[in-house]
Amino acid sequence: MKEIYHSVKLVEENCIGCSRCMTKCPMEAIRLKNSKAVIYEEKCIDCGECIKVCQHNAHKADLDDIEAIKDFKVKVVIPSVTIYTQFGSYINPSLINEAVKSLGFDEVYDITYACDIVSEIIKKEIENTPKPVIGSFCPAVVRLIEVNYPTLIEHVIKVLTPIEVAASLIREKYAKLNYKPEDVGIFYITPCVSWITKVKNTALNRKSQINGAIPMSDIYPSLLKYVNKNKSSYTEKSTNMSYTGVLWAVSGGQCRSMEMDEFISVDGTKNVIKVLNDIENGKFSDVKYVEPYACDGGCVGGVLLVENPYNAKRIALNLNEHINFEYRFGGLSDGLKNKFTVENNINKNYDIKLADDFESAVKKMKYMNNIINSLPGNDCGQCGSPSCRAFAEDVVKGLSSLNECKFIR
Amino acid sequence: MRDEFIKLNYEIKSRDFINGGEASSCVKKALMQLGIKSAIIKRVCVACYEAEMNVVIHTLGGNMEVIIYNNKVEITMKDQGPGIGDIDLAMTEGYSTAPDEAREMGFGGGMGLPNIRKSSDEFYINSVLGEYTLVKIIINY
Repeated sequence: MKEIYHSVKLVEENCIGCSRCMTKCPMEAIRLKNSKAVIYEEKCIDCGECIKVCQHNAHKADLDDIEAIKDFKVKVVIPSVTIYTQFGSYINPSLINEAVKSLGFDEVYDITYACDIVSEIIKKEIENTPKPVIGSFCPAVVRLIEVNYPTLIEHVIKVLTPIEVAASLIREKYAKLNYKPEDVGIFYITPCVSWITKVKNTALNRKSQINGAIPMSDIYPSLLKYVNKNKSSYTEKSTNMSYTGVLWAVSGGQCRSMEMDEFISVDGTKNVIKVLNDIENGKFSDVKYVEPYACDGGCVGGVLLVENPYNAKRIALNLNEHINFEYRFGGLSDGLKNKFTVENNINKNYDIKLADDFESAVKKMKYMNNIINSLPGNDCGQCGSPSCRAFAEDVVKGLSSLNECKFIR
Repeated sequence: MRDEFIKLNYEIKSRDFINGGEASSCVKKALMQLGIKSAIIKRVCVACYEAEMNVVIHTLGGNMEVIIYNNKVEITMKDQGPGIGDIDLAMTEGYSTAPDEAREMGFGGGMGLPNIRKSSDEFYINSVLGEYTLVKIIINY
């Protein structure tokens, strides 16, 4: 099995073994071993929940430093659309882009254009996908489907994300200007940790290669300084961003940008799990599209953002009053559609089976069910597993030993 | 070792819409842990869920037994309840006797039994009016 990179890491010296992350992890991917948290990587979807709940900074994201941009001749940055919602109230997006550029970039790429391309592709591709179609733009949700919902893989829309589309367009542009691929550094300013994972795991795809993911929270102080210094003297330039693209920052925004009628937008990993369970049970076949986000409120709820997600949502929704909105993407050529449609953007390297052959798996399951019957079932967590069922599975897999439960009958 | 199998048992409570669907989630997890293919899991999920919700909506409660072999899954659902008077009619798509309470929650579309039959390779139903309904589903692989 191919090893998959994870961006959420444990800082062992900060961990006091409080078990808060273990009980809050929606994937039951965290254990306590010798009073320290341990992340079981095959279950982790990099949703960032443990980072949010840890009060001791013991969960951290493996991030790129802005210094990394210095390795490239041309430095292009793709800011997440959430960036335009992070300054308390309306700030002209052009000023924010200028602030980003001042960090040392040569070009700030407008991702809202890529969002519109992707919207157009989804509108067409939705016809070729079983209903309800599931959006693939939250990498944590895609991973959740890979790990726990392999039956739903065919429902996932087969299109690149706006970030990949943007990177691919940037690479094309600079190739035409005779730059070598290795001279062009493309960086994504990310609101969340799952994007870091996605960027690192797709690093080998040259066409849409992104060289690094920079956390919004790291550059925020510099941006804020720039914005505060210049906002009073800033003469309103017309902003040619797409308002429909900006909406991708909030839950429900994708569907609004596509003028979709029968859709479900769901945010928060636990809520997404409820919706995926229902789809698996055969419900929602009358729903066209499901727009899922691991973070509360959509991307504005990302763990690396600063602004209150609900205020950020207000700012995003109000931006249409300020943006010189123009839907620049009229017709979609088949060439463009094919370029950004992917055969399969799902990684099937997950397997939760207990053993390779059926007979051994049955034996292990019988043993596991016997253990479950002798456990108290109160999920006290003192064994270091988040629930009695998870503990039984750990024992069968050889990851825990029975005597770690003090209440076993 | 051809008779190796896993037997799972779930009690399904009447009118328990909150936990309705729990049993099929547990069955799904077990199938994944046993390495059963996704296409099969999907059919089992639909069959189990519909059978489970039928018991929740229409009956006084029941019991679901799932036996997983290395070549098939057998699901047997037996409930205590009103029974079905006209089975052929109950198997008609769109025919429903669901109470208003269930319909208001989006259930009772009259697709339960037809969907179960569609998802299964073998389907048996037996009912005594005023006593019970027994549904047996086999999905081969």
